[in-house]
Formats: sequence, C-alpha cells, structure tokens
Amino acid sequence: MAVEPPTFQLGLALLYWLAAFTSCCVMGLLVGFVASLASYGRNGPRVFRSTLARGFQDLVKVSWQRCQALASLTFKEATSRKAFLIGFLFILLFMFGGWFLSESNVEKPAMPYITFVMSAIYFLLNIMALLIACWGLPADIKARSLHTVVTKPVRRSEIVLGRMMGYSAVVLIVLAVTSIFGYFWIQRQVPERAKDQLIARVPVYGEIRFLSRSGQPAKSLTNVGDLWDYRTYVEGLTQARAIWEFDSLNVSELRKQGYVRLEQSFEAFRTFKGDVSDQVRYRITLLNPESGLRVPMPESYDVNEFSEDPEASVVIIPEELTYVESYDVDAEEKTVNLFDDVFDGNSLTVEIACIENEQYLGVARGDLFIRMPDRPFYVSYIKSIAGLGMMLILVVGLGTTASCFLKGPVSTFLTGSLIVLGNIFYEFVKDIYSQKVVQGRVLGGGMFESMYRLVTQMNMQSPLPDNVGTDIIKFLDERVFNLLFVVNAVIPNFTYFNTNQYTANGFDVPWMGALVPSFLITIGYLIPLIILGYFSLQLRELESK
Amino acid sequence: MSDSVIEIRNLSKVYRDFWGRAKVRALNSLSLDVKRGEVFGLLGPNGSGKTTTLKLLLGLLFPTEGQVRILGEPAHDVEKNERIGYLPEESYLYRFLNADETLDFYGKLFKMTKAERRERRDALIKRVGLEHARRRQLKEYSKGMTRRIGLAQALINDPELVLLDEPTSGLDPLGTADMKEMIRELKNEGKTVVMCSHLLADVQDVCDRIAILFRGELKVIGSVQELLEAKEETQLVTSSLDDATIREVESVLEKHGANLKSFSHPTSTLEELFLRTVKESEARPGRRFEPGERPSATTES
Ligand SMILES: Nc1ncnc2c1ncn2[C@@H]1O[C@H](COP(=O)(O)OP(=O)(O)OP(=O)(O)O)[C@@H](O)[C@H]1O
Ligand SMILES: [Mg+2]
Repeated sequence: MAVEPPTFQLGLALLYWLAAFTSCCVMGLLVGFVASLASYGRNGPRVFRSTLARGFQDLVKVSWQRCQALASLTFKEATSRKAFLIGFLFILLFMFGGWFLSESNVEKPAMPYITFVMSAIYFLLNIMALLIACWGLPADIKARSLHTVVTKPVRRSEIVLGRMMGYSAVVLIVLAVTSIFGYFWIQRQVPERAKDQLIARVPVYGEIRFLSRSGQPAKSLTNVGDLWDYRTYVEGLTQARAIWEFDSLNVSELRKQGYVRLEQSFEAFRTFKGDVSDQVRYRITLLNPESGLRVPMPESYDVNEFSEDPEASVVIIPEELTYVESYDVDAEEKTVNLFDDVFDGNSLTVEIACIENEQYLGVARGDLFIRMPDRPFYVSYIKSIAGLGMMLILVVGLGTTASCFLKGPVSTFLTGSLIVLGNIFYEFVKDIYSQKVVQGRVLGGGMFESMYRLVTQMNMQSPLPDNVGTDIIKFLDERVFNLLFVVNAVIPNFTYFNTNQYTANGFDVPWMGALVPSFLITIGYLIPLIILGYFSLQLRELESK
Repeated sequence: MSDSVIEIRNLSKVYRDFWGRAKVRALNSLSLDVKRGEVFGLLGPNGSGKTTTLKLLLGLLFPTEGQVRILGEPAHDVEKNERIGYLPEESYLYRFLNADETLDFYGKLFKMTKAERRERRDALIKRVGLEHARRRQLKEYSKGMTRRIGLAQALINDPELVLLDEPTSGLDPLGTADMKEMIRELKNEGKTVVMCSHLLADVQDVCDRIAILFRGELKVIGSVQELLEAKEETQLVTSSLDDATIREVESVLEKHGANLKSFSHPTSTLEELFLRTVKESEARPGRRFEPGERPSATTES
C-alpha cells in the first residue's frame, strides 16, 4: 500500500489565492466604504481614503525591532500564564498512555505508537495554540495594559504581528520539546521485532498520460463501467498505453543504489471468465523522449493483484540494460546505460502495455511509482512535525486575528470551528463537487431538494416532478452549492497539514505533496489575516465593553 | 509651528453600548488650547470627563464630534507618540514584568539602543525611587510603587509633552512632593505638561493654567494667578518663626492697619474656587465658559 499524495499545482494554487485574496479585498473595501458612508456621511469618502492610506503605511512600515519586543512580551506573558505546563501534561500522558497500546495492530505493530504520539501532539498543541492566541489580546485590552503600548509609537500592525510571533514561538518550543520526547518514547516502546517498521520509504510519483487503442494521445482510456472512475483501463494487445513521466528524480542517489525500483498496484480486469489465478501480464518499455530511444524490458510481468507478498509487485530495472529492439529471432542485442542513455536529464519515462488479449489493465496515477532508497524514520517524523508546526502557526494566526475584534470565548469558538471545518469541510465539498462535475448531478440533490425528498419520503433516485416548484428548488440548490464552493475556497484546508498517515505507515513525507502546500497555505492565510487583524484593531476603541 | 501643543475644538464624546445606543455624554463641545511650555491642570469632579479628554487626545477613543490636534498632528497619528509621554489613570502595565524589564520593553518600542535603554532605565528608576525594588514583578508592587514605575515609563523617551492622569493618586506625601518637584523640573526643561487631578493643592502648586470641567463641559479656564487674584488677602510664607518674631510681625502689621488672621500652613484657595464652581454648575446647569468671557466672571456672584 502506498499513500499517494494529492497533486498540488503551484501555479494554479497561486492563481486561486490571488483570485480569493482580490475578491476578499474588494469585498472588504466595499463593506468599509459603505460603513464609512453610514457613520461619517458626507465625510465618509475622505475618512475611508485616509484610513486606507494609513493602513497601507502601517502595514508597510512595520518595524522589526518593535515586533520583536512585542513578541518577547507575548512570550513572557504566555510563560507567566503557565502555558508551558501543557508540555508536562503531555509527558504525563505518556507515562501512562503506553499501557493501553500494546499489540493492537498485528500487521503493523509500530503504527499505533507513532499514531498515538502524533495525534497526542496534534490535539494538545492545537488546543494550546487556540487558547493562548485567543485569550491574550482580549485580556490585554481588558486590563488596559494595551493602552500604555499603543500610546507609544507602535503601529497596530506591529501588535498583531508581534503577538502572532510570540505565540508561535511558545507553541513551537512546546512542539519541539514534546516531539523530541515523543521520538524517544516511540523508539523505546515499539517492540524489538517491529523496529524495522520505523522507516521512511520514499515513493516518487509521476504524471500519467495515455495512448488510445489506436495509438493516439487520449485523456483517458476505456471505462469499464465503474461508477468511481479512479482507474482507466489499458486494453490488451492494442496500441493502448499508459505512460508515466517521473520528473525531478535524484539521479545521483539512484546511481549510488545502482538500479531503479518500480512498484505497481495495477488492477486486472478480465472480460471473460477464466481462472482467477491465471495472471494478466503487462510489458514495460522505457523511453527517452529526447533521443527517441525505446528500451523494451526483455521480460513481461504479472499483475499479481492478489498476492500477499509485497515483493511480487516490484520491478527492478538494472543500470546495464540489455535488450532487443524487436522480437525477431535474429534481432541484434543492444546494451545501454539506464542513467546515461534512458534518463532524460533527471526524468524517466515508463510506458506500460497490457499483453493479454481481451483483458484490461486498470491503471491510475498512483499505481506506479519509483521507490527511492529508504530514509531513516526520523526524516519522516521531523517532516510531519514540521507540517504540524505550520498548522499551529496558522491556528495562532487565526486565533490572534479573531481576538482583535472578539472577546476570548467567542474567538476561541470561532477559531475552533474553523479548524474543525477545515478538517472535514474540504472532503465534504470535494465529494459534492466531483459528483456534480463527473455525473452532472448530486445524488439526492442539494439542501432544498433533499429536504423536499425527506418531507415527501421520496427515494433518492426517482426524479422530481416536472413543475415550477422543482425549478425553484433546483435554482436555490444551485446557489447553495455555489456558496459552499466559495466558503470552501476561503476556509483553510487543514488536511494538508496532517501528515501523520505517511509517517505512521512508514513513508517519507513528500515535499510537494504535503510540506510545500502546508507552507504556502500558512503564508497564504497569514497575509490576509494580518491585514484583517490590523484593521480590526485599528478601527476599534480599545475600551472593553 | 504654532505655540499650541494641544488644540481641542468642539470635542464631544458619547459612550455607546454594544448595540450603539448612547449611554453617557462624557464630553460636550469642549474647546481649549494648551500652550508650549506650560503646566496645564485639568480639574473636575469624578466622572466629569478628564480621563475621556486625555484618551481622545491619544487616539484611544474616537471623538463623536469635533477635532483634536496634538503636537500639530491628528490623534491617530503614530509617529507623534515619539514625543509624548502618558501616565494612565491607573498604571496599566504588565504585571509579570519587573521594573527593569518594563522600562526596557517600553524603551524598545522607541527603538532605543541597548545602551540608551540601560542608561535611561537606571536614571529613571533612581529618579522615581524604586532602586530597591527594580527586580520585583509589578504584581507585587503597592499602589504607590506602581504609580512611580508608571511615571518612569511615561518619561522613558524624554517626551516633549507629558500627559499625566492623576499623577499623585496613591502616592505618599513624600512621593507627592517628589512628583511635584518632577513636574516643575519638566517645566524647567521646557516640556509641556497636562495633568488631571482632584488634589487641588498640588494643582495650585505646579500648574500655570487650569480648566475646570463639570459633566463634560468646560466651566472655568484661566491662569491660576488670574483666577485667584480677586482675593483681598495676602499670604506670607516664611521659614519657621519663634513666638517673639511672630509678635513683632503682628505689631508691624498693626501699624499698617492690617491684622494677622492666621499663621498656619497656607490653605488651598483653589479648593474654594473649585467647590464654588461645582456648586454653581449644579445650581445652574447649562451655563458654561464661552471663549472671550472673562474667566473670573463665572466665579463672581
Ligand atoms: N468605557 C466607558 N464606557 C461608558 N462610559 C464611560 C466609559 N468611560 C467613562 N465613561 C463615563 O464617562 C464619563 C466621564 O468619565 P471620565 O473617566 O472621563 O471621568 P474623570 O473625569 O476622569 O473622572 P475621575 O475623576 O473619576 O477619574 C463618566 O460619566 C463615565 O461614567
Ligand atoms: Mg479619570
């Protein structure tokens, strides 16, 4: 089993961010303009303009020294509020937690320990980040100690930034301490026979494209009637091909290893009943699109989809490749070097054909990957922790911003809800979205349609009556869907940050699949959060009501 | 640059609750100027709007109507704060810091270098007499000690305008005397001081000009001398005299047709003015000081 990372397209993400950011700004400006008209009447536009100009200055002319001073103040404040006790709580949890974990997973004995540590850190620190970030500023305003600060030449943007930096430092320190503790705890607790599971396997995924049965480039191949079209099917003994291109490979690491290890998880689809144990076979050809070199691997391979043996799905490609260009008996044998001749720079292209008449080979992007040399467990562990750290910074950012205009309990509630939503909402909306796009409709309809069905006890499949009521329901549902998509575009997708699954299953955490997106998401949210926090603090009287 | 350090024009403030309903009209159309280099006293009974005025000047509150200019800038300007020191009504400081850390922190907010901060901090702690307690957290401080560190904090940047909200509240007599001395020193250094207080003796001692607020309205404004000179009395303050000397002075006075009414400590005549103003304002609400009117006119009746 491999954990296939979601694809993350940097350019697209950036474009999305720009679109979302711009529309949020435009909306904010509109709301601000209307509000200034409402409260200042004829002077509204002038006030609006000067507020904006001031805001721009305050956000651009931030002083690093003042931010640092405010951050270290925040840090001391958190210390004085005993925030670090969370660390002790964590360690306490572990002194007893181990008793309940023994041998719960037979197949992967190491997994429960890793999962336990990571989820304990995840929950404790999230709660900690949430609480300290949401309560600090309101307490500061209530005690009016902030009065003394804002009457110094301090920009409110510096207050927001300084707070975020201070809380982040607190949370990251606790994170570092608990995760170091957790690491040694895992090393001690995992039973000796399962120690080899503490590893970071490194699958490298490629991009997939297809050739149709007549050899033309195609978006996808045969659909065998699965509702869920994760896989597409390569028809046997036609010109249909699935082609993977693996980019940005670390060639020197592979050279040192001396071979390339491919792992597959294809599915065999049989059109006639035969013996299930009869294997469907496939053939591999390595391509160099630059030089036009085609190297067919001399053997063919079994799909082995039901095999228990993990090595049954492995194909080793040696550095020295000896092959014949055609299958003629008297064809000449040739020898090439995998890394020098077949690799195009640091990318490798692999073409898969099914060689079973009237059988199909089910393939998806994640079904073929290159296994790089394994890395030590701590690599994956540290990366997971780093992902978590970025999530915590985002939580701190959300909490601090909320606390700029809300009181402690309310901002805790708001931020907490955002975290929960950010963890589940995305999947929920993605499901609706894919149903809409792939099937053209959502099973059971949207909010209003399903309410209608619920009330009339109509089943989910039968069509609605053809009348005006239906049109109205459909129209409203469409708006609700759009609203959902908009909300989804604004709520942070926290699922990226939780990379425990990789680590617990013995995989390395991929950069592009998890860490880079987490980092960008964090930055992407912090920028508008700081702006929002600044204006909320700037435009309010610092008098607790 | 004009010689008005503070200009307040038609300033009104209505406190509203969460729903935006008006609760209190804390200031009503206040106009006054504070000149460069003077010590200005803002007087008034509890709840008359003194603190509100200061907060409006500092941009902590937003005016309902009217404008303020402070050091020639609008209240929300950040950079003007470089030249302002503010001692809040209660010293709102961070209770988990000690005196050293507190001053260091505020010093950093002015982008002072480490050496500058250390020098300034040591001088101020000495000046407010907290050397014995500089390493103790502020939460352990008594009220007067908190006041002292609050003052030190307000002076950290060597400000050219100092706003003091009840500087002597909570201070012992010695502290009060120190405070007055310090205010005089500030004046001598050419700084402008605005202070709120109820302790009229203090105000009388140090202020050049005063304004009396009542329920958010300006009732009296003028120089202390001007406001009190209508009195047909002369006060003599000398170093301690023995009985013989006092009799001698008496005889000299008799010769000139005057008699010695008392030879105790001077009474605060400002107190009389204050009480009279408040009583009058209560009796005749609505009447208030108009620019151009002679200030003592309100006090004559
Ligand atoms: N945050 C607030 N919310 C509502 N009303 C307020 C608030 N602060 C002050 N007030 C009201 O405004 C009026 C003026 O208050 P202010 O604090 O300015 O008086 P003050 O002259 O400083 O009084 P004191 O001598 O007691 O310090 C009072 O009626 C007070 O109740
Ligand atoms: Mg007051």
